[in-house]
Amino acid sequence: MTVLVLQRYLAVGAILFVIGLIGFMTRRNLIVLFLSTELMFQGIAVNFIAFGRYHMGQGFFHGQAFVVFLLVIAAAEASLALGLVVLLFRRRNTLDADAWRELKG
Amino acid sequence: MLSLPSTFSLLAASVLSPVTILILCVVAGVGTVLLLPGKREATIRWIGGVILLAALLIFIALVVRQGAGQRGEGVYFWLFSGIAVISAIRVVSHAKPVYSALYFVLTVLAVAGLFVLLWAEFMAAALILIYAGAILVTYVFVIMLASQAHSGATGQPAEGAEYDRVSREPVLASAVGFALMGVLLFVIFEKSEGMVRGGNAAVAGDAASEGGAVRALGAYLFSDQLLTLELAGLLLTVSMVGAVIIARRYVAEGAGETRPEVIVSPATPLDDDPHSIPVYGTRNPVAKAYPET
Repeated sequence: MTVLVLQRYLAVGAILFVIGLIGFMTRRNLIVLFLSTELMFQGIAVNFIAFGRYHMGQGFFHGQAFVVFLLVIAAAEASLALGLVVLLFRRRNTLDADAWRELKG
Repeated sequence: MLSLPSTFSLLAASVLSPVTILILCVVAGVGTVLLLPGKREATIRWIGGVILLAALLIFIALVVRQGAGQRGEGVYFWLFSGIAVISAIRVVSHAKPVYSALYFVLTVLAVAGLFVLLWAEFMAAALILIYAGAILVTYVFVIMLASQAHSGATGQPAEGAEYDRVSREPVLASAVGFALMGVLLFVIFEKSEGMVRGGNAAVAGDAASEGGAVRALGAYLFSDQLLTLELAGLLLTVSMVGAVIIARRYVAEGAGETRPEVIVSPATPLDDDPHSIPVYGTRNPVAKAYPET
C-alpha cells in the first residue's frame, strides 16, 4: 500500500519540522536559531518530494522542482542571516538573542 | 486500508488512534523539556533523552505494526529517518553550536538518503552540495569567528556562553511544538484518503529507470518554470549583494596597537541627537564634522 509509505515519509517531515520549530523557540544563540530554520526547511523538502513521488502522477518531478527553489531560498536566507548575525555580533559582542530584547517594543 | 474488512485492519486503525498520538506527544514533550539545555544536572538531561527516544521507538513500533504484513519500504528508510530525527534532536538540544552544526550535516546526509529512496537522486546530490557543502561551511565559519572573538575578549569558561547553556521557555515551546506535531500526525494517519493518486508509480518508475528523471526535471524547470528560475537567480544575486553590504565594516587607519575604531553600517543613532550618528566614508575631519545648525 503506497499510502502507508507516503504516511511514513510525511511523518518524518512533520517530526523534522516540529523539532526545528521547538529549537527556534527555545534556543537563544542566533546561529542555532537559524540552524533550526534550516531544519524546518529539511522537513518541508521531505514533504515536497514524497508528495511529488506519490501524489503528482505524471509530473512526479514537480515536487523536486519546488525543492530546487526551496534550496535557492535557503541559500539566500543563510547568506543574509549570517551577514546580519555578524553585524549584530559586532554591535553587542554577544550572540544572545535576548541582547536585542528592546526590539520587542 | 480503510476498505479491508479484516480484523487486522480494525486493529491497525485502533493502534494509531488520536489518543495514542496525544499520549505519545505528551511523553515526547516532557522528554524534550528535560532534554533541552538548562540549569539542570546532566543526569536529568540524560533521562529526558531516554524518554524522548522511548517515545520515538514506541511510535516506530506502532507504525510498523500498522503496516505489518504489507510491502513496506525496507530497512534503509528506517535507517535514514532514524538518523535524521535523532541528529535533528541533537541539533536542537546540544549546548555547543559547533556540534549543532555538525549534527545538522548528519541530518542533511540522512535526508539526502531519503531523497534517493524517493527517486530524487538529483535533489539528493544538490542537497549535499548546497547544504553540507556551502551553507554549513558558512555557518561553521561564523561560529568559529564568533567563539574565537568571544573567548579572546572575555575569557568565557570552557562550557560555553550562558545563552547556550540555558534555553528560553522550554515548557511553552515544547507544548506548542508537540501540539502542532499531534495535529500533523493525526491528519497524516487518520485523514489519508486521496493522499495517493493511483496509477502513478508505474509512470514514475519508467521515467526514473530510463535515466530521464533529471532530464525531465531540467526540461520542466527551463520551459514551464523559466521565469521562476530567472527570478531565483536574481534573488541569489540580490541576497549576495545584500550580505556584502550588511557585513562590511570600515576600519580606520592608523589606530595603532589599540582596538581600531569600528564603524558598522548602516548607522543607527544612539539617541535623538543627530550628531551622535557616526559619519563615515571619508578620513577628512572637516568633511566628517556635521555643519553647525
